[in-house]
Amino acid sequence: MLEAKDLTKRYEDGLLALDHVNFEVREGEIYCMLGANGAGKTTTINLFFNFIDPTEGQALVNGIDASKDPLEAKGNIAFVSENVMLYHNFTARQNIDYFAKLGGKTDLQKDDYYAVMRKVGLQDKAFEAKLKTFSKGMRQKLGIAIAIIKDAPNIILDEPTSGLDPKAAAEFMDILTELKKQGKAILMSTHDIFRAKTIADRVAIMKEGRIVMERTREEFLKDDLEKIYLNYMQGIAA
Amino acid sequence: MLRTIINKEILENITSPKFVFTFLLCTILILLAVYAGVGNYRSELKEYHSALALNEKNLESQTSWGLIAGMGMKITKPPQVLGCMISGIQDAVGRNATVNIAFDPSLVDSRYDSNPVFAIFGPLDLALIVKIVLSLFAILFTYDAIVGEKERGTLKLSLANRVPRDQVILGKAIGSFVSLLVPLVIPFLIGLIMLNLFPDVHLSGDDWARIGLIFLFFLLYLFVFFTLGLFVSARTNRSSSSLFILLFVWVVFIFVVPKGAVVLSKYMRPVPSVHEINSEKDAYLQQIQNEAIEGRRTFFQENPQEDTPEWRQKAQEWGAAFQQELTAKIDAKNAELEEAYQAKRRAQQLLALNLSRISPSSALTFGTQSLSKTGIQEHERFLNAIKSYKPIFTKFINGKLTENIGTGGQPPKPDLDELPRMDFKPMSLNDSFMLALPDLVVMALMIIVLFAGTFVSFLRYDIR
Repeated sequence: MLEAKDLTKRYEDGLLALDHVNFEVREGEIYCMLGANGAGKTTTINLFFNFIDPTEGQALVNGIDASKDPLEAKGNIAFVSENVMLYHNFTARQNIDYFAKLGGKTDLQKDDYYAVMRKVGLQDKAFEAKLKTFSKGMRQKLGIAIAIIKDAPNIILDEPTSGLDPKAAAEFMDILTELKKQGKAILMSTHDIFRAKTIADRVAIMKEGRIVMERTREEFLKDDLEKIYLNYMQGIAA
Repeated sequence: MLRTIINKEILENITSPKFVFTFLLCTILILLAVYAGVGNYRSELKEYHSALALNEKNLESQTSWGLIAGMGMKITKPPQVLGCMISGIQDAVGRNATVNIAFDPSLVDSRYDSNPVFAIFGPLDLALIVKIVLSLFAILFTYDAIVGEKERGTLKLSLANRVPRDQVILGKAIGSFVSLLVPLVIPFLIGLIMLNLFPDVHLSGDDWARIGLIFLFFLLYLFVFFTLGLFVSARTNRSSSSLFILLFVWVVFIFVVPKGAVVLSKYMRPVPSVHEINSEKDAYLQQIQNEAIEGRRTFFQENPQEDTPEWRQKAQEWGAAFQQELTAKIDAKNAELEEAYQAKRRAQQLLALNLSRISPSSALTFGTQSLSKTGIQEHERFLNAIKSYKPIFTKFINGKLTENIGTGGQPPKPDLDELPRMDFKPMSLNDSFMLALPDLVVMALMIIVLFAGTFVSFLRYDIR
């Protein structure tokens, strides 16, 4: 479970990036954070991985405070970034092997990697191909394969469908739905309202470092999420 | 975990096009340098043996000590076998000196004198390759080691795992350095094997120890640039900025500091030119020659010539004593001028060396030249040995000439076994090492400071 408790971040230049943010992502749940650039989505993610320290509050990963015990917290989260670049001179298998070992999976074999890569929709011929020959969609799939192989109870994704073509994005969503069924707590930041509406169990809209709206699936399916989002962005509360 | 990171770094580097390029270029350059160095050494050795034989032949052909006094003794500097790897200042300084009773000896006939085309391009030796080419590669291997991973997002992905930052930076440093060593170590070993295949090249145990220490210098030097690259990479947010800063520092270290130190020392510690010193010496010699004429005239006035054995005996004794007195005066004056000149020159040289030591490139140059006996110290030791030999030679020749004064008739043929020869022992390994030690310490300190800086910077590095 991921939990933000009064999470606040003020940068050295005085910018208040996060202002007492509270939310939780439960097991088997997909929580989507929507918001414009600079709303605080990536800052929230960075706090869960302790890439930065909070000014106030806590980012809890399965109850572990990420700023107090970052390594233990990181052991319980997998990460998929916006633009998975990985190592270009490595093959897909070499990349997944390296990150699996960093994630503590030291006893996996080639077949285990192949199985995960198949699961995320990569073709067999891509397994031993160098990353420099991969399209962005293929790289994102490999990114999610890396997250899956870590087998962490929580997954955080930062704009994972950004730049993907509709087919690749749809395939990506299927994988997330599968992970959700496995009981993973999934926190995803995105600009893509359409995708959020498709898979999210709960949606939050962030603006100027605060969560200005949170709706459950039942609630946002009844309403027009896009309209609500635009209203919040224009400063007209729904 | 550390092993995983090290393995990844090595694999990432050795599968990159820059590694293949570096390896090929280093192999070609190092083998070419060794081959060219051996070629030079063999021709120097041949010239050295020819010069010794010619000198002996010339001495043997002389019919009197007087003729030997006029001709002087030719001294030739033996080439250093490690010059195959580190040419040092060998090509630029003289190799031959003539020791006679009149003038202060100096080394002349440098390789550049005999063929100025060598001076145009300079020598291609291992030190030059490591100093310029490999240091540049060390920068190219490291400029994006950290900032590049940040830009690609792989650093964030790596640190999203249960990996302590200290292990990441340690693993990166070890892995990258091992990859960088491959283009040095493999061609270097092939070069050493090649060196052994030439029949004229004989390496003693002492030489092998020196080669080991020279290699240690190469490693330290590369590590300085390597840690510098990591440090700058850990202090910047864009790999293009990192590369720009590193290239700037590289130019400063390789070219600006060594040349600047020499220029600065010339202003801070001026030294009179050799011509000024020689003019002073010539003026004094002229004065002594006038004194000699005056002294002889006075002697003959006070002691009119008689054809008696007593008079001849007296003239012989006076002549010997007078000659000794004049020679001693010339030697003393020359020594005084030379000492003052050398003291000023040494002070200037020391200042230039110490100023330039802030550059690892100078530390590498001084250290490897000391160890290969091709540096300035070995040259000065040889020159000092010649200067120390000069009074021995002069005393011996004067003694022989005095024996013959007034004897009349044909002087006896010189017995060359009686002629004292110059004894020069090259610097011992211990002395060479002690000379190189400050440079070793300078580089070790730079590595410690830069690595500590990298380590701390990386622990605080903003990976967003």
